[in-house]
Amino acid sequence: MEAISSFLSQVTLFQDLDAEALSTLAPFLTSKRFSAGSVIFRELEESDALYIVEQGSVVVSKQVREDVDIVLTRFHSKDFFGEMGLFDTAPRSATANVEVDTLLWRLDRSVFHDIFSYHPDIAAKICYRLVTIFIERLRATNEQARDAIRWGLEATGYSPAGTKALFGRKST
Amino acid sequence: MPEPAKLELLTRNPGAPGFHLEELQSSQAHRQFRPQRLPNDAWEVTPQPHGPDGTRTYILKNLRHDRYLLLSAREYFLWESFDGSHSLEEIARSFHFEFGAFDYSAIRQLLAKMYQAGLLIEPAQLALQQSRATSKDNLAALRLSSVSKYWRRLTFTVPNADRFCSTLYRYGGFALFHRLTLALSIALAIFAAIAAISLSERTKQFAQIISGNPWQSTFIMLGSLLAVSMLHVLTHALACKAYNRRVREIGFFLLQGVLPTFYADVTDIFMSTRRARVVVDFAGPMVEVVLGSAAFLAAYQSAPGIGQATLFGIGVLLWEGALINLYPFNLLELDGYNIVADLLAMPTLRQQALALAPNLPRRLLTMRTIQRAEWIQIGYLALCFVSLLAYVILHLDAIAAIMPGWKR
Repeated sequence: MEAISSFLSQVTLFQDLDAEALSTLAPFLTSKRFSAGSVIFRELEESDALYIVEQGSVVVSKQVREDVDIVLTRFHSKDFFGEMGLFDTAPRSATANVEVDTLLWRLDRSVFHDIFSYHPDIAAKICYRLVTIFIERLRATNEQARDAIRWGLEATGYSPAGTKALFGRKST
Repeated sequence: MPEPAKLELLTRNPGAPGFHLEELQSSQAHRQFRPQRLPNDAWEVTPQPHGPDGTRTYILKNLRHDRYLLLSAREYFLWESFDGSHSLEEIARSFHFEFGAFDYSAIRQLLAKMYQAGLLIEPAQLALQQSRATSKDNLAALRLSSVSKYWRRLTFTVPNADRFCSTLYRYGGFALFHRLTLALSIALAIFAAIAAISLSERTKQFAQIISGNPWQSTFIMLGSLLAVSMLHVLTHALACKAYNRRVREIGFFLLQGVLPTFYADVTDIFMSTRRARVVVDFAGPMVEVVLGSAAFLAAYQSAPGIGQATLFGIGVLLWEGALINLYPFNLLELDGYNIVADLLAMPTLRQQALALAPNLPRRLLTMRTIQRAEWIQIGYLALCFVSLLAYVILHLDAIAAIMPGWKR
């Protein structure tokens, strides 16, 4: 249990928790191994947990065509993903794909609700950190949207030409 | 230049486990891009007469948005390839076979022009908002720019100009473009010239009478000039209708961003013949010639006095106006310039010549490589320079009157 607490202390989400709080939290998490190429959850599946990466790498993608996904982001050791599932019952907005063999820790929504009920101070600290991380991720999404538009413009050769490009004759 | 934008794609083979990741640069995708022009009923293209270097240009019209592009022969080749089935890489290859060289920037520039003219089917409608940095420290520059913006906004256009001109043409305007009208105009001008010569002995007397009634004379002359310049552009527009082409606009704007002028947008005449363009160009100044002639003949018939002097003055002003308008070498795109540009099949002669000017000394050093079209541009620049110099020399007295210190 101490090893888990030591690992959790390095995760940004839990950086506001002291050793005692981490020890309290650790039993609520469950670990799971995934092999490379497998899928942790798919887009539109039920959303019910948050995942923390201890080892390995996870690629989060969103389907743009039947056989093609766009890669949104990557998560490595000490990162976490699927946080929307802690609060929101809406289906998953993206697919989490395992890039290399990976060890994850899972925090279920129902368990998180229990933490809220029995350890509200711990839950409050986690929520505060989550909000700041949400903001960071929102900013990153804006940047991503901009990059995607830039990509489209460059790929189609679009560039805003001046009105001088057009031909005309005004007889005076 | 920033790095090309990248996208990372994840693909799966149906039935097989795992996935494949691929990074795709925008430049890579650009080469695979298959530009597709609008359907054939949405555009019209008219080849222009061969230019001095033997090449041809084309006017491409977007029938949906009423926008025009001038294409070189090479650009026209690319346009023909934009059928949605050829990638830019394939187009570049066939371009290379046809012309012996290829530069991707040619495609980039053409695509930019095409998007501007709305001639390509856009893969996505992307609305881009330009961000404008403003600085409180630079208030003077901002004010200057807003004054300049308002000055440039001093324009107006007649609504439904084409319908208005079509009606005018149908109800009598067509008579202006009959051969008989031309013959009568020439005869009138000949009689007027004789009358003007006979009245010219009394020029000093007329000048004294006019300067004796400065407000009245100035008001009448300026009013006449204003009315005639409106008729001038209206006649350009009617000439355009005589060839069944569309008048895009009639209105008022600042020529070269400075000179307040009435105008008729007759770009659509480029979809017709060279002869049609020259007729449209000539039609405007003919108004000054005919009305100036009428003023001279009226002055000839009038009794001596303020009326005769003013009519003579109006005749001189209008004929001078026609002459200035028909003189091609003043760096302005007036009717004379348009005629020369049309006859030479170089519709952008002035812009080309001005673009050549900064490189002229270097080009003249390698004189053997100068093409015929470039010689024409150099000739145009030289004639403009000589004309402007002659104009200044002829008006040295006036300059001295404005700047008394200069005479010393």
